Amino acid sequence: MRFTTTRARRAAATAGATVAVLALAACAGGDSGLSPAGEDTAAPPAEECPCEIRFSWWGSDSRHAATQEIIDAFEAENPDITVVPDFTDWSGYWDKLATSVAASDAPDVMTQEERYISDYASRGVLADLSALEIDTSKVDAAILAGGQTADGQFGIPTGVNAYAVVIDPEIFAAAGVEVPDDETWTWDDYVEIANEISAKAPEGVYGAQDYGFNEAGINVMARQRGESLYTADGKVGVSKETVTDFFQVSLDLQAGGGEPDAARTMEIQDAGPEGSLLGTNTGAMGVWWSNQLGALSKASGRELQLLRLPGESEGERTGMYLKPAMFYSISSKSEYPQASAKFVDFLLNSPAAAEIMLTDRGLPANTEVREGILDKLDAPNALVADFMAEIAPTIVDSPPVPPNGSGDVADITERLNAEVLFGRLTPEKAAEQFLSELEAAIG
Amino acid sequence: MSTTDIPRRADAPARRTRGRTGATRRGDGRAAIIFLAPWFAGLVLITAGPMAASLYLSFTDYDLLTPPTWIGPENYTRMFEDPRFLNALQVTFTYVLVSVPIQLALSLALALILDKGLRALSFYRSIYYLPSLLGGSVAVAILWRQVFGADGLLNQFLALFGIQGEGWVSHPDYALGTLIVLNVWTFGSPMVIFLAGLRQIPQMYYEAASIDGASKVRQFITITVPLLSPIVFFNLVLQVIGSFQSFTQAYVVSGGTGGPADSTMFYTLYLYLKGFGSLDMGYASAMAWFLLLIIGGMTAVNFVASKYWVFYDD
Repeated sequence: MRFTTTRARRAAATAGATVAVLALAACAGGDSGLSPAGEDTAAPPAEECPCEIRFSWWGSDSRHAATQEIIDAFEAENPDITVVPDFTDWSGYWDKLATSVAASDAPDVMTQEERYISDYASRGVLADLSALEIDTSKVDAAILAGGQTADGQFGIPTGVNAYAVVIDPEIFAAAGVEVPDDETWTWDDYVEIANEISAKAPEGVYGAQDYGFNEAGINVMARQRGESLYTADGKVGVSKETVTDFFQVSLDLQAGGGEPDAARTMEIQDAGPEGSLLGTNTGAMGVWWSNQLGALSKASGRELQLLRLPGESEGERTGMYLKPAMFYSISSKSEYPQASAKFVDFLLNSPAAAEIMLTDRGLPANTEVREGILDKLDAPNALVADFMAEIAPTIVDSPPVPPNGSGDVADITERLNAEVLFGRLTPEKAAEQFLSELEAAIG
Repeated sequence: MSTTDIPRRADAPARRTRGRTGATRRGDGRAAIIFLAPWFAGLVLITAGPMAASLYLSFTDYDLLTPPTWIGPENYTRMFEDPRFLNALQVTFTYVLVSVPIQLALSLALALILDKGLRALSFYRSIYYLPSLLGGSVAVAILWRQVFGADGLLNQFLALFGIQGEGWVSHPDYALGTLIVLNVWTFGSPMVIFLAGLRQIPQMYYEAASIDGASKVRQFITITVPLLSPIVFFNLVLQVIGSFQSFTQAYVVSGGTGGPADSTMFYTLYLYLKGFGSLDMGYASAMAWFLLLIIGGMTAVNFVASKYWVFYDD
């Protein structure tokens, strides 16, 4: 096969042109700036549909299947709107979202999370949802506030979770230790009970799994003392004493035998519900987000229970709160904000959607829809629903939305807790470092 | 075999005669440009373009979500006040300086054994090369986690002798060690290169030496080592560059955190966490360029030092 001269020249020209076009496209993608949120959506003209919107979320296979089912139900009701699914696992999700926003290719509707939402909102990536037609009247105002910043409503909570102590009553019974009254127990009680169970239970069974890697614990302890991890104006609001005490509990549990040694703790911490002490029937207590009770119960094969965190009546107020599990947000750059809003409204308010999703994105934020699915929940999730109904009256307020850069807090907490457990930092030094690193991250 | 041989033989003379005519050669040149175009587009769009972009970004404050703003060399100066960055440097240098010499020594030793003319040489060569193909993979890193876990294979083995092992990957004193072992384990590719190098050394040198009564050790030191030194040098440069860029092993073994307590926080892992975790892409870009300087510097040191120990036969 030989090229004739003209054909070769034409092919060369085509190849050259392709390169030039690609290069131009690459430049165009990088240049476009982002306008502040809200501007695009103010008084939108009626949209021309049929239209296509993209919905991105993270999660497990079961969530993907359920979400696809919801999309199908939505499309059946709205034949002129097509929803394109776009899903990944948790860690890949944020890499992908950040790069697609950088490339001006943000999904129309996306799921957001507490630690990142203000990063995205403050940079004009998200639309102010209060300007769109989404019915939020059935969502508790305190919970709805979890998706608000001073500039608007940038996310609508999908559902709620509570940070709580999960216990295995069988291990309490085997060790001959009474299950404490969770309305009155203190942090000292927690350490004492854990140490006692480790001492009385068979070899290799512990009182508690370490809790120090999760900043939610710091937040609850801070709130019990009238502080808060972050203030409403986006500063660090927790004192050095509180953070010191938080790490001290970890250390006391380790020293008293209430939890495994540091290396073992690190290993269990990374092993998820399946590899946790509760999941493997080798621990009596663990502090978890309530939506993990299902996975923990399944792994353990036992009837686990939920308790309030210690110290709820010890300090000046209660510290527990309902955390939005995640948020639905809409891109400020969406071509079809109204169609997107319609879809979010469906996700939030449709009983059909809730029946498919159940509690996979937290216990539904819409209280009416929540009532409707209660009798369809399995035992652990019914327990979660009961538990939340029980603690709801004692909750004072919702913590403010974490400020920009707060995504680093998880990493900071986990690392400093490890330093404390391995004896490389005292709780006091760790607390100092925690505050300075967190201030640098959100500054 | 024979079926593929026939067309090749029939084709060969035709190709030679075609190559001789001038007109066709010019045509080939144009065709070459066309066939090179995809590669060239790849170079510009996938390598050179992003490199230029990252050089620019390294002088900006860029969070991926809003356009970058120029801040000058601040990212570069900030690095040296960042204790986690300095820790990442220390971890990475420890990793490279410990694992590369051990790996080269091991692969040379195995190459020497295989070179002695074992039966089924190609079988052993494949077996030993296998870890190199697998070593950088996610699957092996996950396996590593299992082997060195508290209830892992290694501790079960140690238990046979009554030794209570640690949770190797979850203890900050040992976690980096397991990654060094993993890197050493991928000795296959330098070994294959050593093996090829050993085959290049003319047998007559050894024959002459043994006639003169030189011992095996003596032959190794005065014949093998100098004649193999260019190969050692080549492997050293390649492995140093490769090890500085290690990412997958640390990412998977530490669950993406560089933990416990930053003990496996490789340079590239910290770069990734800064860029995509903390959305500090300007800083991450500056780190990438600084890594280029480090690797360039290390390679330059290697080349300068090579004058004193690498012996070229010709």
